[in-house]
Amino acid sequence: MNFLFRTVRTASAAFRIKACTSVRYYANEAPAGLSDRLRLSFALPHQTIYANAEVQQVNIASTAGDMGILANHVPSIEQLKPGIVEILENPTTIKRYFASGGFAMINPNSSLDINAIEAFPLEDFSLEAIRTNLAEAQRIASTASTEEEKAEARIEVEVYEALQSALSK
Amino acid sequence: MAFSWKTAGITYLKYTQICARAVRNALKEEQRLIAQKRDEQGIKYAKWENGKQGELKPIVPQQHS
Repeated sequence: MNFLFRTVRTASAAFRIKACTSVRYYANEAPAGLSDRLRLSFALPHQTIYANAEVQQVNIASTAGDMGILANHVPSIEQLKPGIVEILENPTTIKRYFASGGFAMINPNSSLDINAIEAFPLEDFSLEAIRTNLAEAQRIASTASTEEEKAEARIEVEVYEALQSALSK
Repeated sequence: MAFSWKTAGITYLKYTQICARAVRNALKEEQRLIAQKRDEQGIKYAKWENGKQGELKPIVPQQHS
């Protein structure tokens, strides 16, 4: 019994050492020699906005929080909230899109794939339409009879509020 | 608040659909008219028999319960 316990202990100690060597560090610790430019693909079901274009930085609103992505970022998959996708093509050219939600895949080779259902440049939105739709959604959220209708209206409220704050920046 | 729709029985696909529709409805008139054509999508099917196309039937989406 004692022997068995010792073997288990040795095994777990060995495992701990092994686990320590495979710990992953922050993005700036990624292997050097990769491209220092981020390659972005930004696609909608009906349109390709960027196809493997070299950009400097992309800022997204993920469900885990807002994040900025540079080249050599740690690989990750992020779910997008309805919010701004900000693309810094170079230090002077910044493009802002409002995406309805989707996914961003940060690949190990400094490429970034963003998929969304709808995304439009901020200037395509009408503040007037947002205001009326927000008021309507808020009314439905508080007066709807079924829980599902209320939930739908609350999602819409969230989208319009995100749009409002995006346009007020 | 972020995922409260899940408890109301709304799936992720339905959620993104609602978000996309809301975004389309917030556009300026000109862009909205183009975008809204993407809102309604449908499928029609026809059975082919002996090289002839049968009756073309639309698939009516099931009511989400």
